[in-house]
Amino acid sequence: MAQETVFTPDVKFVRELQKAGADTLKKCYQCATCSVVCPLAPDDKPFPRKEMLMAQWGLKDELLKSSDIWLCHNCNDCSKYCPRGARPGDVLAILRKTVIQENAFPRFMGKLVGDPNNIWQALLIPIVLFLVILGVTGHLHIPEGQVVFSKFFPVEIIDGVFVPLSALAVGMFAVSISRFWKNMTEASGMTPKAEFMPSLIETLKEIMTHSKFRKCDENKDRSVSHALVFYGFIGLAITTGWAVFNLYVLHWELPYAVDEHSLAIFGGSAALAWAYKIVFKLFANASALMLLVGGVLVITNHLKERSVETTTSSFDWLFAGIVLMVGVSGFLAQVMRVTNFPAALAYGTYFIHLVLVFYIIVYLPYSKLAHFVYRTAAITYTKMLKRDVEM
Amino acid sequence: MSVETILIVGGGISGITTAVEAAEVGYNTVLVEKNPYLGGRAAQLNKYFPKLCPPYCGLEMNFRRIKPNPKITVYTMTEVESVSGQEGNYSVRLKVSPRFVNEKCTACNACAEACPAERSNEFNFGMDKTKAAYLPHVMSYPMRYVIDRNACKDNSCDKCVKACKYNAIDMNMKPQTIEMKVGSIVYATGWNPYDASRMDNLGYGRVKNVITNMMMERLAAPNGPTGGKLLRPSDNKEVKKVVFVQCAGSRDQNHLNYCSSICCMASLKQATYVREKVKDSQVVVAYIDLRAPGKYEEFLNKVQADQNVKLVKGKVAKIEEDKSTGGVIVEFEDVEGGGKTHERADMAVLATGMEPCVKTNSMLSFEENGFINGGTAAGIYSTGVAKRPSDVTTSIQDATGMALKSIQSLVRS
Repeated sequence: MAQETVFTPDVKFVRELQKAGADTLKKCYQCATCSVVCPLAPDDKPFPRKEMLMAQWGLKDELLKSSDIWLCHNCNDCSKYCPRGARPGDVLAILRKTVIQENAFPRFMGKLVGDPNNIWQALLIPIVLFLVILGVTGHLHIPEGQVVFSKFFPVEIIDGVFVPLSALAVGMFAVSISRFWKNMTEASGMTPKAEFMPSLIETLKEIMTHSKFRKCDENKDRSVSHALVFYGFIGLAITTGWAVFNLYVLHWELPYAVDEHSLAIFGGSAALAWAYKIVFKLFANASALMLLVGGVLVITNHLKERSVETTTSSFDWLFAGIVLMVGVSGFLAQVMRVTNFPAALAYGTYFIHLVLVFYIIVYLPYSKLAHFVYRTAAITYTKMLKRDVEM
Repeated sequence: MSVETILIVGGGISGITTAVEAAEVGYNTVLVEKNPYLGGRAAQLNKYFPKLCPPYCGLEMNFRRIKPNPKITVYTMTEVESVSGQEGNYSVRLKVSPRFVNEKCTACNACAEACPAERSNEFNFGMDKTKAAYLPHVMSYPMRYVIDRNACKDNSCDKCVKACKYNAIDMNMKPQTIEMKVGSIVYATGWNPYDASRMDNLGYGRVKNVITNMMMERLAAPNGPTGGKLLRPSDNKEVKKVVFVQCAGSRDQNHLNYCSSICCMASLKQATYVREKVKDSQVVVAYIDLRAPGKYEEFLNKVQADQNVKLVKGKVAKIEEDKSTGGVIVEFEDVEGGGKTHERADMAVLATGMEPCVKTNSMLSFEENGFINGGTAAGIYSTGVAKRPSDVTTSIQDATGMALKSIQSLVRS
């Protein structure tokens, strides 16, 4: 007699997926066009056909432990060729979001950030936090005179909030990822054929060059917009580190006036001090510009691809919006500062910018941005299994 | 009192059936066909399923019923220009294109021998050529040559006229308009194969050895471009392995959203062509679902029992040329076995679906997939594939029923 396999469909899970935006998943009739047209699916047990079936059956456990759904870069070649409009690319995007939410630690943060309906609560936390801190420290007013942001929100306070909270976020994220890694490796049932480190290095190389992304046919432009946002973020992270170096190592404070103190740092050479300052500013602005242009491109690509009214991947929409607004508010704040804009507007914009930065940094383990760690982990593991497609 | 004539638009197997059945009950029928011959798509088939007999046998029987029957008038190279009026009394205008060959033609082939010009043979889907003076196919009805004036080298050429001993060629024939009254109308306008070049991932038109299922019928037919040998188009090498690509554009919202209902059986039938004609040949049929309803299941079982025929669940979504052999690499996911399969073969046959020929007409009402429900007014009917995708047997049964419907319409009005 044939071996019996018992499946227990989780209907609730299916409904959750549909509600989150994978409303097309039931249209799939398992023709497997998607697995063939996907340039990233390996020959052995390709995706996303099997994931579509699992999603229809509500096989939550299998899906949440899958590494394959992270190999998908959402280029939607599959959705273009799908004869039934089942949009496998979108379904996998929703599955990834669900993995981030299910692995969230603590759980309520996953709900808070993961569900776009909770966006106002999620933003209210930093707003209230900042207002209380400003109130307690006696800074809850618009400073007089020239616009200098540290007069309004002293750097020590910013660092005092962000440094411990970032550390907390990293700690929480570590819990989520180790849980994810354990589940994924146990569920695969395969023995790794390669070491962790070489696989990770290969994965990072791929990410830096966006080589997987560039394999997409349908949405070639997306690799460009994603690369811009990606390098914009990295540039801004470096900028932040650089600023910390300026402040705590060089003791050169914003707005980096070329005065006696700074001249002393550069051995009395004004030219050197100016050059250092200009390079720093250029680097920071170039990074911000990349983020801004990338953000605009991400949104226009989204618009080109699907109409706004679909609930599909509203999680992605939300994050794309926040990224764009971080860029815009940061840029505007700088422009307002330099042009000595009415103080209330300039400080207000800066405040909004800080709230959004809080969202991106502190909510990292729960937002769409978490994908960079999940994806890196999953691709690394796939490479360890020698299952990934050759680039 | 109604006009006791039934107009049948389309002279394929369905139209012929309606015309013959109604005429044999005693009603006047006018059968209008736009091609220079009767028989339509059925005439292009090598064999019918499931009996695997040649369609020429059935067509010949029908032609023998048409010929002596004074109640049937046949117009070939004719299209319906306009229809007006109401049930029992429709005014119809027909446009007859010139054939340039009259009824004196004995089909002796002298004109074709003398003709210096060639044209692509659409009866064989462009896989060979005929002269500008040609017989559409060996069993043409009427058995009469045609001159394709667009293919003539220049208008002054009269080599065929001189070669004809029977004065059958008249280069001065003009288009004609015929007006008539009819009581009821049956649309049997049939289908066209879906344009395979629209599936960019399946390589048709780009990869030489990708053909359609209708082209396969012509390749296998004794009167086809290769005399019935299964030679692949790129180098005329006999095919040893063929992959059939099911649902090529069918059940696909980007192409034809419906199932054409016959392609599974057609491919299973064509698998038998390959197996019978080529020793040790191999066949792969890649499908989403195999549809062989009712009595056809027996045929499926028979084909499936052949060890050299592999039926695999998984839709082909990519076809590339195999540079090393000149063949094809056909890619699909073997859904039951797991894994993407890169099947190398000599030739791929796309099971393209059926698209209705007539898509817009103010006198007709269409269903959601574009097939004809019937008329917007009473006394107008549809049959055959114009009505729904169906095989020859089902079309003939429906066409017989429509003969009765159209007669009832005459009696009623």
